[in-house]
Amino acid sequence: MSAASRGLISRFRLLSIGPRTYSFRSFSAEVAALDDESDGAAVEEGSRVMKPFSRRTGVIAVKCGMTALWDKWGARIPISVLWVDDNIVSQVKTMEKEGITALQIGAGQKKEKHLTKPEMGHFRAQGVPLKRKLREFPVTEDALLPVGTSITVRHFVPGQYVDVTGITRGKGFQGGMKRWGFKGMPASHGVSITHRHIGSTGQRDAPGKVFKGKKMPGRMGGKQSTVKNVWVYKVDPQRNLMYVKGQVPGAEGNFVFVKDAAYMVPSRDKYKNKKYEDISLEKKLMVYKKFDLSLLPFPTHFSSPYEDPSLLEPLVADIGETDPFMPAD
Amino acid sequence: MDADLIGKMKSFKSFHLLENYLSNFKTLHFNCHKAPASALRQPFKFISSSSLVKKNEVGPLKGFLASHSTNSLPQVEKCTLRAVSHSSVSGPSFSFRSVATMPDSQASTVQESSTANPGVTPRIKFKRLDKTAKHIMQILDKEAVEKVKAEREIPDIKPGYIIQLKVEVPENKRRVSQMKGIVIARRNAGLNTTFRLRRLVAGVGIESVFPLYSPNIKEIKVLDRKKVKKAKLYYLRDQMTDALKK
Repeated sequence: MSAASRGLISRFRLLSIGPRTYSFRSFSAEVAALDDESDGAAVEEGSRVMKPFSRRTGVIAVKCGMTALWDKWGARIPISVLWVDDNIVSQVKTMEKEGITALQIGAGQKKEKHLTKPEMGHFRAQGVPLKRKLREFPVTEDALLPVGTSITVRHFVPGQYVDVTGITRGKGFQGGMKRWGFKGMPASHGVSITHRHIGSTGQRDAPGKVFKGKKMPGRMGGKQSTVKNVWVYKVDPQRNLMYVKGQVPGAEGNFVFVKDAAYMVPSRDKYKNKKYEDISLEKKLMVYKKFDLSLLPFPTHFSSPYEDPSLLEPLVADIGETDPFMPAD
Repeated sequence: MDADLIGKMKSFKSFHLLENYLSNFKTLHFNCHKAPASALRQPFKFISSSSLVKKNEVGPLKGFLASHSTNSLPQVEKCTLRAVSHSSVSGPSFSFRSVATMPDSQASTVQESSTANPGVTPRIKFKRLDKTAKHIMQILDKEAVEKVKAEREIPDIKPGYIIQLKVEVPENKRRVSQMKGIVIARRNAGLNTTFRLRRLVAGVGIESVFPLYSPNIKEIKVLDRKKVKKAKLYYLRDQMTDALKK
């Protein structure tokens, strides 16, 4: 009963916010309160300014597969196609309530029968459609978005770099050569039977044991991994597809998580004696590889209600006017 | 205006008529947001109370397909709740999900009310994602091939054809080199279709593989069509001199 009423309230709340207003309410604990409307007076229309330390949300994408395209210079580019399927913000986490500023993003859609009751309760409490995959992305406070905001592929700009996280293909039980890149043993010169063995695993009496963490044969793959600095070649807003250069982890049809390529660097000398965790987020510097920060839509790209999304043209990364094949003078 | 609209919507006897009306009425939600919340809820109440709701066919792939089909009016007719909720999309030829930010509050509302009421649950196709992904790749591949074929004429190359090629080599200061030889194999793989060309250079047999749809191939001219009985003419490697006497 209470869940139902909460759902009802959130429905009212969502209705009360006009479709044209992006109300960045105070994301306090009383998100479902009805008097939110007055709070929503601080309405901002769309984008804000991205600060150097700002961190935008990521998206959930489906790896569709690989292909190769030719760019305008006739060079062949290996491409992974990622499908950003119906991403919306499904929960907003704030400092006051959860102790972290983060956005939970949901992708795809699901039926009620596929969900457990607690999961249903979560969706109902947030007042969002049922989603196939949920994932939380930590963001800075200025990059928070209201619940229900849909995130399209135009969140990313062609030419920028992203980090793609996914679960690698499981490869089963593998030997040391494949799993860790060991060299194995010589093919000849008296080596018998042990051509692909790992060799010695330690010393003699002195430790008298094999050290923990020794690289050995075992299960390979099926683990989360991140490919960093993947170049976005093309973005197709009409179909919500993004084309990135090179490989991303996982098999076709797996979910991958795409976020801006960035890592946080605390300024060294100033915070020498502090733990990394103690440094506030603003003090850490956000480094975006080789890309102009101001070109990114912040906090996300809001599509105009007046444009017809079926007419949007794919955006291709600018690869410059100098022919890379011609020798420089 | 709004009251007028809602009155009109109520006057529709069947839901079918209503949705047709809505798909024509593009500016529905721009008007709606000015209305008071109570008035705004009314159309949706009306929708959810209606038991005539047809099955919504927007599966994960359907939406994708519809986005590139030129004329998808039946598609739109099938979309009931979704089409209404995504009214900002508004073009009759469009039924892709997850596009606009704007109407999402309403979209989620409708969705939620429908999940509460099992009678109006929109039809969601829950399919295996790997198949969906594969289908997407097939569509992209097909389109890419069609695009290349529309841009320039590419003759149908088969094993046994003797062809003349003009190939631009970007690595070699974009010089165009000309070569003549026999196609001994063709590998069909959509956009990545390649053929294998065997020719004699200074008495030495050279085989090279070319992507058929590469923009670096400037011209393909079929000189002769030899009749062969096999798809792969690898036996020519052993009897080079006979076959390639031109």
